[in-house]
Amino acid sequence: MYRTAAKRLLAGGGFTTTRLLRFPKLRSTIIPSSYTSGLCTSSIGGNTESPMDNQSVNPNQSGPTVSSSTGTGEGQRRHESRKPRAEFQEEQARVLSASLRHVPRLGWTEEAMMAGSRDVGVSPSIVGSFSRKEAALVEFFMDECLQLLMDRIDSGLDLQNLIPSERIAKLIRIRLEMQVPYMSKWPQALSIQAHPLNVPTSFKQRAMLVDEIWHAVGDGASDLDWYVKRTILGGVYSTTEIYMLTDDSLEHRDTWAFLDDRVKDAFDLKKSIQEAKYFAEDIGAGVGKSVQGLMNGVMQTMSRRSGGSAF
Amino acid sequence: MALRSVSRRLGSRILNHRSFVASIHSHATSFGFQEVKEEEKSKLVGNVFTNVASSYDIMNDVMSGGLHRLWKERLVGKLSPFAGMKHLDVAGGTGDVAFRIYDAVYSVKRRALQKVDEVSLEETQIYVCDINPNMLNVGKQRAAERGLRDNKSLVWVEGDAEALSFDDNSMDGYTIAFGIRNVTHIEKALAEAYRVLKRGGRFLCLELSHVEIPIFKNLYDLYSFQVIPNLGELIAGDRESYQYLVESVRRFPPQERFASMIADAGFEKVEYENLVGGVVAIHSAIKL
Repeated sequence: MYRTAAKRLLAGGGFTTTRLLRFPKLRSTIIPSSYTSGLCTSSIGGNTESPMDNQSVNPNQSGPTVSSSTGTGEGQRRHESRKPRAEFQEEQARVLSASLRHVPRLGWTEEAMMAGSRDVGVSPSIVGSFSRKEAALVEFFMDECLQLLMDRIDSGLDLQNLIPSERIAKLIRIRLEMQVPYMSKWPQALSIQAHPLNVPTSFKQRAMLVDEIWHAVGDGASDLDWYVKRTILGGVYSTTEIYMLTDDSLEHRDTWAFLDDRVKDAFDLKKSIQEAKYFAEDIGAGVGKSVQGLMNGVMQTMSRRSGGSAF
Repeated sequence: MALRSVSRRLGSRILNHRSFVASIHSHATSFGFQEVKEEEKSKLVGNVFTNVASSYDIMNDVMSGGLHRLWKERLVGKLSPFAGMKHLDVAGGTGDVAFRIYDAVYSVKRRALQKVDEVSLEETQIYVCDINPNMLNVGKQRAAERGLRDNKSLVWVEGDAEALSFDDNSMDGYTIAFGIRNVTHIEKALAEAYRVLKRGGRFLCLELSHVEIPIFKNLYDLYSFQVIPNLGELIAGDRESYQYLVESVRRFPPQERFASMIADAGFEKVEYENLVGGVVAIHSAIKL
C-alpha cells in the first residue's frame, strides 16, 4: 500500500526494470531462504523497507541482506556478492518466463520448468533449487500479470468516462483476460495457490492486486472502509475467476456478464447496508419509546397506589 | 600412542591459532589433530579407508544410530534428480548416495506421476568417483546385490576429487557426502566441482559440521571422543581410524566459513542447512 503510493510519486518511464526485479524480492520476504536451520534464522527482515530507498539507485537491491548474512566481515566480498545474488534472481526469472510457454501443454509442473530451463540454455538442475517449485512458477506468473496490469493502467486507460462500478469491471476483465491462454491448466494453479505452504504468498499477491485496482479506480479511503472494500472486491474477483474456469461461451461473454452482475451487487450491498443501518436505528428508536412509555406508566401506577406518600 | 597424545595436546594449541593459515600457506596440513606433510595426508587417508572399507556401512549405522540414512535421503531430496541427468557423486565409494539417486530417478511411482519419456530415462548417468579402490569394490558388490551390476546408468570411476577426469561443463549435479573433509586441498576440490558442473548445475555437500548449542555441544564432544573410538575398536577393530575421523570433523571449517569458501570458488546462491543442531550440515550452491 505504501509501495503503490511511493510508486505513484516516483512514477515515470524509467523504472520498469527495477520494478520487475523488485517482485522476486517481494517473494523472498515471505519465503525464508538462505541459511535455514532449527537455530540460525535468516536475516531477510530488512527487505521490506529497502524497495523504496533503492528504487532509483540500481537493480541490485537484494545484495545487502544476503551479504550481511554471508557475513565473514569481509567488506570487499560484499560488493561481489551483490551482483551474483541478483544474477541468480535474474536467471530464475528468465527460466520461469521461458517455462510459461510450456505450461498449457505440461501444466504448472517441474516438467514445464525443466523445459523452460532447456530453452534458456541452463541445466534443468536449477529447478531443484527453486523454493516450492511449482508455486514459484505460479507466483511468477501472478506477479507478471500484476505488472502488466499496472503498465496498462499507467499507459493511459480510459477510465474517466466510466462510473466506478464500470471501471472496476473493466480492470478485472483486463486482468482475467491475461489468464485465458492458461485456462485449461488454471485449476491446477489455483490448487497450488491454495496449498497451506503457499497461501501466505498467494494471499499477499491477491491483496496487492485488489489494492491496485481500487487505487486505479480512484479510491482514497483509509479507514475501516478500506478493508471492507478490498475484501468485497477480492470476493468479486475470486468468484469471477472460478466462474471463468467452466465458461465456454464465445469470448467468455458469460463471464463478463457474471462479472457485471457481481459488481452491481457489491455496490448495491453498500446501499443495502446503509438502509439496514437506518432501519435498525428506527426500530431501536421505536422500541426505546415504547419501553420508556411503559416505565412511566409503571411509575405513575406505583405513586398512585402508595397514595402520594413520603415522596 | 603416548607420543601421539603429547603431540596432539601441544599441536592443538598451536594449530588452533594457525589452523587456516596452515592449510593455505604452508605445505603442512591436518590429519585429525596431527600436523602432517601434504603428500602424506592422502596416503594416510588412503590407509584409513582401506582399513574401514568392509565395515564402513555398519559403522555408519552404529555411530549415527541409523540417522545417516535420513541425512542422505534429505540430500537426495534437495537435489531433485530428474531423468536424463548426468550426476557425479564424489567420494561416494560404497554407493549410498548414488543408489538413492538411481532409485529416485527410476522409481515407478514417480514415473507414473510425471511425464517421463523412456529415452531420457536411458540417458541418465550416475558416476561414482572415489580415490580408494577398496571402497569402490564394496560399492560394486552392493550394486550386484541389487541387480545393478551391468546397469549402464551407474558408472564406477576411480579418481581424485582434486583432479577429476571429467570434462568441463558436463555434469548436472555434483554431490559429496562425508568426503570433503578428507580432501587435502578443499579449495581445489571446490574448483574442480565448479569446473565439471554445467551452467545451472548444483553442488551439494553433506558433511559433519560444528555444533554451537551449549550443552548439546558438550554431549556431542563426549560422544565423539569417548564413545566412537571405542566402537571403532569393537566393531571394526580399528581405533586409530575412528580417532582420525572425529578429529578431522573438528578441524573442518565451520558452516559459515565453508560457505564462503564455496562462494569463493565461483558458486552462487550458497546456502546451508543444519541437521541435528549442527552435527551435520548440507551446503548447496549453483553454478551460473
